[in-house]
Amino acid sequence: MASRLPFLRRISKLLKAPPSTPLRSLRHSLALGFLLPQPPTPDVSPRFFFSSRSICSGPLNLPQDSQGPAPIDYRSVLSEDEFHGLANSTIHDLQEKLEEYGDIVELDGFDVDYGNEVLTLKLGALGTYVMNKQTPNRQIWLSSPLSGPSRFDWDHNVQAWVYRRTKANLLKLLESELEQLCGDRIKWPEQL
Amino acid sequence: MLRLVASRLLGTASREVPSRPLQILPRLYHENVIDHYNNPRNVGSFDKNDPNVGTGLVGAPACGDVMKLQIKIDEESGKIVDACFKTFGCGSAIASSSVATEWVKGKSMDEVLTIKNTEIAKHLSLPPVKLHCSMLAEDAIKAAVKDAEAKRAKMNGSSKAADVN
Repeated sequence: MASRLPFLRRISKLLKAPPSTPLRSLRHSLALGFLLPQPPTPDVSPRFFFSSRSICSGPLNLPQDSQGPAPIDYRSVLSEDEFHGLANSTIHDLQEKLEEYGDIVELDGFDVDYGNEVLTLKLGALGTYVMNKQTPNRQIWLSSPLSGPSRFDWDHNVQAWVYRRTKANLLKLLESELEQLCGDRIKWPEQL
Repeated sequence: MLRLVASRLLGTASREVPSRPLQILPRLYHENVIDHYNNPRNVGSFDKNDPNVGTGLVGAPACGDVMKLQIKIDEESGKIVDACFKTFGCGSAIASSSVATEWVKGKSMDEVLTIKNTEIAKHLSLPPVKLHCSMLAEDAIKAAVKDAEAKRAKMNGSSKAADVN
């Protein structure tokens, strides 16, 4: 069981991962799974509160079992491979579209960056969007300077990413927010 | 080389401002976050079986954040007289839940439902990637209130079923 491996061996295993395996951004702290056994500061009576570092981790090496309370078992909703396929293609298509968009719209400080499976869209002084996959939940997470954080689930019925609370569609949300912020309407291809 | 990187990673597992990640982006914590991290307010736990205590447990370890936020309700006035939290997660998550416990004290349950994640995020100057932490804190407040209300309804012997969404 991966969780039994000593801490150091874990780290070196992760570091030995092939170069094509991307390291997650700090937000994806699957590594916290093996930080759990670490005791908090010993001089204080046992506290659940221990601030753990979100460490970059290779997602494929760690056990996928959810260790705590989770209202929905997302694994039954979408398989991981299916999720990665859908999410990756959405994010990559978005990336291309946004790069084209950057050429049309003249905005100081416009930048599209994709690294460690995180898509970052900078709109200069207007704000920054961050989009990433949240694999355990099978969600795409978006952080928007206008609408704040949202979490999109794949909806089979409409074949789109939808935020359950507001029923917002990921692409439509981006479309309307970008128009609001930058003025020019971004055109999505129909198959996106 | 492996050992060097490993020790550098291990070195970050201490209560200091984290050194730069392997990615290029510099990340700086706002002083409010550092303050809540170093001097967390209201860390602790109430008895969850106490009928005047509402417990909100949100998040999942696999995602990186788990927050437990508890509120103690005054029986007569229905106001929140005390709150505590325990959070497993990044500095921003800890700070967000710490702020949440500060803000709910002394307010009525209806009032705290109006606390928005945007306010928490603004107070802590959270960067875009950490806005989700503030949302989780808002969710924790809502979950705690929901639990407290369900308990009060049960206590009052009301036949109205607790609305569990």
